[in-house]
Amino acid sequence: MTLLELSLYFMLLSLISVGGMPSVLPELQRYAVDVKGWMSPEDFIQIFAVGQAAPGPNVLIASLVGWKVAGLPGALLALASMCGPAAVLAWWVAEAWERFKDSPWRRAIQRAIAPVVVALILSGGVILATPGAPDWRLWAIAAATAIGMLTSKVNPLWFLAAGGAIGGFLLA
Amino acid sequence: MNVAPPKTLGELFLGFLSIGARSFGGVMPWAHRVMVEERRWVTEADFAETIGLCQFLPGPNIGNASVVYGKRWFGLAGALVAFLGLFALPFVWVLALFALYADFAATNATLRAVVTGVGAAGAGLFIGTAIKLGRVLVRRPAALVLITACFLAAGIGRASLFLVLPISFACALFAARRDWL
Repeated sequence: MTLLELSLYFMLLSLISVGGMPSVLPELQRYAVDVKGWMSPEDFIQIFAVGQAAPGPNVLIASLVGWKVAGLPGALLALASMCGPAAVLAWWVAEAWERFKDSPWRRAIQRAIAPVVVALILSGGVILATPGAPDWRLWAIAAATAIGMLTSKVNPLWFLAAGGAIGGFLLA
Repeated sequence: MNVAPPKTLGELFLGFLSIGARSFGGVMPWAHRVMVEERRWVTEADFAETIGLCQFLPGPNIGNASVVYGKRWFGLAGALVAFLGLFALPFVWVLALFALYADFAATNATLRAVVTGVGAAGAGLFIGTAIKLGRVLVRRPAALVLITACFLAAGIGRASLFLVLPISFACALFAARRDWL
């Protein structure tokens, strides 16, 4: 039953995941933590951290949620469900999109998506930095990372490493 | 620049496998390196165009790109092979890393603190990315209003995305058609 629920949820999420995994993190956190109680907010930020630090597409966070809920079958099913419906859509749309290159609707869609995706990524960042009660230490790490990223061209992995080091120092 | 698509499914699989295997710190730079520079499957312009499309479609953009290219070259078999090649190794690694982590974290508070710190930094990368992408957009007042409203609903009010996305996208499309964005 849980597997079916997991799969259906990720299939729906797949279809609205405009902007990729970052856009749907607020929704995934809301569902997995607040609605279903599959994990605590702290568990969720740790899953996110492992998913960010490991190599590979960040959609793998979905498979970690699946793993946490239902082990290996959950992980496989969550990943397949999160990618499947969107992949089917990409399959059909790729050629049509090419044909409508000069359509005003295509340009309108492109411009309409951008602000929505920006707001959702921002929401994801704020929610992840506030897993439980507001904690200045997490906000400080997040703010320092955001500023560092905007003012330098360093590989983002270094920021994750620095965040880990500061976390080990401040949060332990 | 001479480009030629992969000749066999095996070549397609190995190409995407090597993208997934090396994608530390983001997949897109590696996808570019493998497909455009090393294996010369596609031109720079083709790659940019396809990734651009995949960013506007729902789903992981590199996952979608593997399906689009796989289909173009080998049909359904190609789409499946490219997708599996891309995810095979990262999937195993992320689960192994998480299993290892879960084992040690149960008894080790410092490790949990370190990983929470990594998560906070990851959250900061999201915030930075949003600012980077958003600061061009907010020159238009309509975009600023949209971003603020959507952020308040999803990020602060914790409303469901299944509600927020259709409504905000409809408003955004309305604004874009009137040239407000």
